[in-house]
Amino acid sequence: MKKVLSLSMVSMLALGVTTACGDDESAAGSENSGDREKLTIWSFTDELEEPIEIFEERHDVDIDLTIIPIEDYPTRLRPVLENGTGAPDIFTGELAFIKDWVEQDYWEDLSQEPYNAEELADDYIEYVFEMGRNSEGTLKALSWQTTPGGIFYRRSIAEEVLGTDDPEAIGERFSTMEGMFEVGEELKSAGYRLFPDEGAVRWFSQGQNPQPWVNENDELVLTEERKNHFDYAKELRDKDMTAFAPEWSPAWFAAMDGKINYNAGWDEVDEDASNEVEVFSYALPTWGLHSVLKINAEETAGDWAVTNAPTPYFWGGTWLGIYSGSDQKDLAWEFVKMMTHDEEFLTDWALDTGDVLAYLPVTEEIKDEFQDEFLAGQNNYKFFLEEAESIDPDTVTRYDQQIDAMFGSMVEDYVEGAKTKEEAIDEFYNLVRNAYPHIQVPNQ
Amino acid sequence: MKRLDKFGYIFIAPFFLVFITFTIYPILLTFYYSFTSYSGRGEAEFIGLANYARLLTDSYFYQAFYNTMYIWGINFFFQLGIALLLAILFSDIRLKMKGLGFFRAVFYLPNLITMASVALLFGILLGWHHGTINHLLLDLGIISQPINWLNDPTTARWSVGLIGAWMWFGHTFIILMAGISGISKDYFEAALIDGANRWQTLTRVTLPLLKPIMLYVLITSLIGGLQIFDLPMLITDGMGAPQGSLNTMVLYLYNQAFRFDNYGYAAAVAYGLFMITVLFSFITFKSMYRKNVKEG
Repeated sequence: MKKVLSLSMVSMLALGVTTACGDDESAAGSENSGDREKLTIWSFTDELEEPIEIFEERHDVDIDLTIIPIEDYPTRLRPVLENGTGAPDIFTGELAFIKDWVEQDYWEDLSQEPYNAEELADDYIEYVFEMGRNSEGTLKALSWQTTPGGIFYRRSIAEEVLGTDDPEAIGERFSTMEGMFEVGEELKSAGYRLFPDEGAVRWFSQGQNPQPWVNENDELVLTEERKNHFDYAKELRDKDMTAFAPEWSPAWFAAMDGKINYNAGWDEVDEDASNEVEVFSYALPTWGLHSVLKINAEETAGDWAVTNAPTPYFWGGTWLGIYSGSDQKDLAWEFVKMMTHDEEFLTDWALDTGDVLAYLPVTEEIKDEFQDEFLAGQNNYKFFLEEAESIDPDTVTRYDQQIDAMFGSMVEDYVEGAKTKEEAIDEFYNLVRNAYPHIQVPNQ
Repeated sequence: MKRLDKFGYIFIAPFFLVFITFTIYPILLTFYYSFTSYSGRGEAEFIGLANYARLLTDSYFYQAFYNTMYIWGINFFFQLGIALLLAILFSDIRLKMKGLGFFRAVFYLPNLITMASVALLFGILLGWHHGTINHLLLDLGIISQPINWLNDPTTARWSVGLIGAWMWFGHTFIILMAGISGISKDYFEAALIDGANRWQTLTRVTLPLLKPIMLYVLITSLIGGLQIFDLPMLITDGMGAPQGSLNTMVLYLYNQAFRFDNYGYAAAVAYGLFMITVLFSFITFKSMYRKNVKEG
């Protein structure tokens, strides 16, 4: 999932440590000057840093933010929530584990007094609101964002190779897998690469027939469409349409800002290919724009646009709720309120970051006029809000993070030639059975 | 007299309290969990020996054992080899190498780097099309195609083993140096006067007298090696990629517990690992004892 954040974990952790120290000192110093209330928040991203500053100013309180890389986040948080010692007042949950957490007693019930969050239901994109609800109908967490995905591409390359940089026209070409591979061929003969790596296509095979990995009878579901992922990835590799820059690797980030080294003289690569190559597009969701692309693309800022992928897909998303054992629930609720349904704050936030909100009163207000300079003035807001309509939350299960990783690793083995497709699928079943003995795996 | 005895207990109490709370209690609790299907939350359900029965037939666990020994073998061979070579060079009374203090610090440096940084660094160095090592080897004309180091089981295991050796040879070097300094200079001088050449001094004097130290290095390295975890966890996907070749026993234990929520089974894996460690220690101990008898 949002592994990008893990890459910046070193710096973020360092920051976390220094701010924590600073806060301790200021807290000790301020004891004399009237007690400032203190709130602790745990999250797996740094995106709450700015809202926290604003909240601290508004309410004259101190907030401690602890950021833990996403891979370790559930492991670190769970024991603390289980025994209650040192637990934060507010903590965020990612799409990958929210299904699990809403079923536990970790988050406060927001349906009840004094929160009455049910009244807000109509103000949100439906799936975002429903995702925070458990199987008994209790509302546990809220979110401010929606996370449909698209394809971000370079306008100048589109203009040069495809004759237009218009998102509608490019989207038309990207509307089928065949069309996408055709674009890939054209780009390749012009010396460009369609995607940085093969990982990009994983969303499109799932998007063809969205099914959960595990159905309500605890059976593993591997659709034919999911199996297409093997072939798509192999086709990208065989036809040499990627720049061999694996997702979240330094080369992957570097390719956003222009040419990267490609043919250093390797035998297997076409001799005519230049020493450097440029990547045309990235499959990323809403948050990919402000927390990945904008940070890494400086030279190419303003040369980007976003359009539809062959199938709709969504990726990630952050929910937040109040720890059920917190003794600062009122203040914590104030923060959750600001983050999820404070019109003034959310409007500023959206205009500032480009994050696509799930809160309709604000999105209705800004969606028509929205423009992003990074995307050469394109209205990505309207585009993503339309894409959000096709999100089916029923495909999310609590196993996704692990099963996705296992499946991705098997696709990799197949593309590398280490396994045949059948072997890879068999091994995938074995891995799932070993990790989750209670899940029924198809007979082999 | 009786009163003084009581003070003794009070003084040693802090250690035992900490030891019982953070070591004995978790060990016993883990033992209990190994008989349950505990999932990390709620109550643990008692399921008897089912976890152990599964462990005995779990091919992933055997694979993890094989991987662990493979990686440790490479690691130990090079770690001891390099350290021994350097220790002999630096202790040679004829060579009189200078700057021991400086080099000792330099050799030890890799051990001070956090494992996360090491993994990140080598992940970049060992990259496929964009990796530094591949580009270097290509410029030197050694290879003509990029090697996907971390995506082939053999090269991935060798990489992890060698990185481990790089991190630990300085540590072993210091221990061996201490061992060599512990050997009386008289032996070396006697060998010199008797006309022994370097090779003879090494094989007849240094190595035999260094044996106990090397055995110590072997046992500590083995016990540490059976617990190889952080580098395999961090350098690829954390699940043992490529093709399960970096799935070590502790990584497997970790994933069963914290990734898949099978705490009960992970506890059984922990006790499986414990039994293997005991077995290996026993074998090494026995062989050491037998040698002592022979020498005596």
